[in-house]
Amino acid sequence: MTGIVDADSVTKRYGEVLGLNGFTASFPPGITGLVGPNGAGKSTLFRLLSGQLRSDAGTLSLLGFPAWGQGEFRRRVGYCPEQSALFDWMTGFDFVATLLRVDGFSRPEARVRAARAIETVGLTDARDRRLKAYSKGMRQRIKLAQCIAHDPELILLDEPLNGVDPVGRVALSGLMRQLSTTGHHLIVSSHVLYEVERLTEQIVMISHGQAIAQGDLHRIRDLIDSRPHMVDLETPDPRGVARLIGAWDHIVSIEFTGPEKLRVLTRSPDTFYAALPALVVTEKLTIRSVHSADDNLDAVFRYLAGGGR
Amino acid sequence: MSGKWTRLVAVAWLSLRGSLRGARVLGLAGFALIPSLIVVAVASTHPAASALSSAAEGLFAVLTLPIVTMVIVLVLGVAQFRNEIDSETLLYLSDRSITRPMIVVGKYLGSLAAALTLVIPAALVPLSVAVLGGARMYAIQVPATLAVAAVLAAVAYTGFFLFLGLVSRAAFLIGLLYGFLWEELVPLLPGSAPRLTLVFYLRNFLSTELTSGPLSGYPTPLTPAGSVLVPIGLAIAFLVLGSIVFRYLETAPERESV
Repeated sequence: MTGIVDADSVTKRYGEVLGLNGFTASFPPGITGLVGPNGAGKSTLFRLLSGQLRSDAGTLSLLGFPAWGQGEFRRRVGYCPEQSALFDWMTGFDFVATLLRVDGFSRPEARVRAARAIETVGLTDARDRRLKAYSKGMRQRIKLAQCIAHDPELILLDEPLNGVDPVGRVALSGLMRQLSTTGHHLIVSSHVLYEVERLTEQIVMISHGQAIAQGDLHRIRDLIDSRPHMVDLETPDPRGVARLIGAWDHIVSIEFTGPEKLRVLTRSPDTFYAALPALVVTEKLTIRSVHSADDNLDAVFRYLAGGGR
Repeated sequence: MSGKWTRLVAVAWLSLRGSLRGARVLGLAGFALIPSLIVVAVASTHPAASALSSAAEGLFAVLTLPIVTMVIVLVLGVAQFRNEIDSETLLYLSDRSITRPMIVVGKYLGSLAAALTLVIPAALVPLSVAVLGGARMYAIQVPATLAVAAVLAAVAYTGFFLFLGLVSRAAFLIGLLYGFLWEELVPLLPGSAPRLTLVFYLRNFLSTELTSGPLSGYPTPLTPAGSVLVPIGLAIAFLVLGSIVFRYLETAPERESV
């Protein structure tokens, strides 16, 4: 594996609880979304990558260096943790500048970089306020500021949009995209799937400590195309439509989900989508909408995490 | 300043500022005032000048050094790692390019500096209070010796308590047991057992430096150099141990949420 981050059979236990269970994945350059529900192992992976935890088995490397290690390469990595703990007695500016000093930057350079990072995350007006007075969204932003202030090559963002207001989410998402276009590699975790979907199509899906799928979102969709695929139809004559398409051999089931709604499960979505227009024309059917319930990432995740059920 | 020293100074400065803030430092400052308040109380009874001088001086060996200094350093030293591990702020240092031994040394220096800002006044203010209350003026050697002894105590205690905070969740309790049982009871044992306490070396130092007064009466089986080197050696030993432990320590608290 030759990704920005490579994990090979990584296992991490917390006593009896498995945080990661043979996690294997390679994170390519650019933005990669790490997607999974709460408790899936996302934060454990980030803690391993940031050197807070050591894996019990397997190998984990970032930028070619072992994750359980220290040294200059850490200056090429930025980490924005999920937890909101900060040095509350410091001001936002002091916090970012001090951590830059800990990274070896001179005082003048640390001040310049801190000011720039804080401006980037939109906190300039609040930079001299104490962190204990920051809202949850502001805390997320100042964590992001300390994460990017030293201009790292690899940026690890653990649930970065948690607690950020809608306007802030748009701004931070834009910032992440901008960082990716300027040579930075980002790994962004989230359990809110549409957030990741808007950032990138490159994803790693994690469930119960294991990578259950990885790659381009469309490629992951291909993984499930051979399995039953859900399509929602809206028509004034659901029973008539059901009678006609029910004769197709790739249809698994048909469910009436509303007075004018059908949910069709097909084993061959390509065949279904190819045959449906012809059926509409020949049978003079009225179908108001066709919606693939599996098109969004949430559905893909539910499908894969559930073992294809 | 090279990047290495910049990092070290940054951690030390962060630890110093983090230590000297809030209600905790106010409480410790109040605690540091206890010897001075006792001297005020003694002075208010209008004792003889020499008795007041002796009281202020003697208080250092029985209260300021083994209790006030120990407790101040314990609170500050243990907090350096334990509080930050528990509050999850340590990650902001441990995920940086600074080496872990450097973090240990930086925190040690910051914690020591914070302790000294409280311990040195705790050692010297009672003497000033005594003089203001009518005691005879002390020879310069007395406050100088007391100050050096307080620094030596802080140097050694800081190393030990910093290490305790790194390795144990019950560091504060263990520190209290060490300070109030081990350091108080073992010196009462016969033979070489008292040498296993820090206070033995500190009192030895006081006795060898002060040839008269209440602090000159402790046994002096060691040379002054010996009683100085042992506390410093202890501090270095615990710094080395702490660096080794921290090098392999997982700093994220165990959580149910993974």
